Amino acid sequence: MKSAMNKYRKSIGKFLGVFLTMCVVIIVLVPIIWLFVSSFKTDSDVISYPPHFFPQEWTLAQYKYVASSIPIFSMTKTTVIFAGGVTIISVMFDSMAGYAFARMNFKGSKLLFSIILLTMMVPFQIIMTPLYIEVYKLKLLDTYLGLILPRATSAFGIYMMKSFFQELPKSIEESGRIDGMSEFRIFRSLMLPLCKPALVSLAIFHFMNNWNDLLYPLMLTSSSDKRTLSAGLAVLVGNKVIKYGPTLAATMISLAPLLILYIFCQRYFVEGIATAGVKE
Amino acid sequence: MSKTSIQKKKKYKPQQQKSAYLFILPSMLILTVFIFIPLFASLVISLLDMNIFMKDISFVGLLNFVRAFQDSRVHNATLNTFYFAVLEVPLQVGIALLLSIYVAKDNKYTRALRSVYYLPFVCSMTAVGIVWSMLLDPNLGMLPYLLRCIGIESISFLKDPNLAMPTIIVVSAWKGFGYTLTLITAAVLNVPSSLYEAAEMDGANTWQKFIHITIPGIWPTVSFCIVTTTISALQMFDQAYVMTQGGPLNRTETLVQYIYDRGFQTAPYDLGYASAISVYLFAIIAVITFILRRFILEKGE
Repeated sequence: MKSAMNKYRKSIGKFLGVFLTMCVVIIVLVPIIWLFVSSFKTDSDVISYPPHFFPQEWTLAQYKYVASSIPIFSMTKTTVIFAGGVTIISVMFDSMAGYAFARMNFKGSKLLFSIILLTMMVPFQIIMTPLYIEVYKLKLLDTYLGLILPRATSAFGIYMMKSFFQELPKSIEESGRIDGMSEFRIFRSLMLPLCKPALVSLAIFHFMNNWNDLLYPLMLTSSSDKRTLSAGLAVLVGNKVIKYGPTLAATMISLAPLLILYIFCQRYFVEGIATAGVKE
Repeated sequence: MSKTSIQKKKKYKPQQQKSAYLFILPSMLILTVFIFIPLFASLVISLLDMNIFMKDISFVGLLNFVRAFQDSRVHNATLNTFYFAVLEVPLQVGIALLLSIYVAKDNKYTRALRSVYYLPFVCSMTAVGIVWSMLLDPNLGMLPYLLRCIGIESISFLKDPNLAMPTIIVVSAWKGFGYTLTLITAAVLNVPSSLYEAAEMDGANTWQKFIHITIPGIWPTVSFCIVTTTISALQMFDQAYVMTQGGPLNRTETLVQYIYDRGFQTAPYDLGYASAISVYLFAIIAVITFILRRFILEKGE
């Protein structure tokens, strides 16, 4: 009697679980699928009432319009240079600093590391105004370099790489020292190859954050062709200079690279943040 | 014997020291120039009367702060910022916790679910904001149309002063819950299974196991999520910038938005005043982080 009751309750629980998780899947996927299919609608289809979910007639008109009327190519180029540049440089500097803090003895290392951790707690808004003035004084406003440089290292990356390097066995660098390698060569050719997964996770973390960032590129760029996709789109939509159909196509263009990357490197998207959260 | 070995350990090798400093030099340089100096400069600028053209700069003491405390838009933005954080954080963490009961297991099915749930987090807030504003558009949107079909007339989610902020809250939770869920899942999978086995021997049911084993086991991660989500909620900008521009009637204008508006969007681009408000926001974030950490850590123990 009791076990039958339990079984009954268990199957209800299971049903509830499947129902709930599936509802959430629908709520998550429908807007994304809607964006994708709607970017192939005609102008009249986009604003038709009652609205249709799928296009009445599939067309590339919106993409053609976007390509000819808004600087989508230069915006994409800026985004790739900005996000890509930050990723490459920051992964390099983060892992160098993380390595030094994890594996080398030097005066003040504890103090410097805690100062670096403190910068993680500084919200961007408080440094926003002086940062703008600095970049302006360096004559780097509205340039690629001006976008990349302030982001060329991150406390989070240093912290993440440090915790990764700490777990490697001590014997590795000792064998390098016996062979008379320089510290940089030990780092570059012995240690770095061992942390490829961490490097990829960190790279994706930086790439995604900078690709999607809004306030930072919005503030440091002014000409429409130096705007990143996310900042440029936000401005176009905010000023209502772009119609519904082209907005959908442009939004799809801005999302596509990350979504494709996500499909292929999913593991790395999740791993970086998971280690960070659990370690705390 | 042991004393000498300790001394040996403490002794820094000059060669290694030199290379260590070279290793950290680029990062330290960048952090100094682009974080530490701006941090202190921000405090100084908040005491100045200065605009974006940087002419006729004068020292005004605490005047900017006095102005901020008398500015009704600062009061309004503070309330909106709290309104957003107080509802968005529990919603996002709550949804993630609820779902974790079902998906924090390691098999193919749950892994597929989790990768779907993470999808909105990969998308930029700009894109998410654009898509939801269109889906919610009172004239053309899918959702108002479907509601009309079941007899609920014309809800204009983002244009109704009372509904705009709740709508932004729900959209933000939609974007962020997958991230929180990923962190919580990693923590749940880290809880030793022996604890569950012991509880089963004592006849505990699923719910009891969740309350007495899972929750305490993942509490450090949950509190990490609460603190970090709260900090970013207090800095909310993207959502409102894309979906409402702070409207209707400034009902979704947050502190960061007001800072951006005063400093960079509206003449006379008053950087001194914008800095003062950002120092004020920083103080709020610091105090709330401190309180949350104490409260949550105590509760955890």
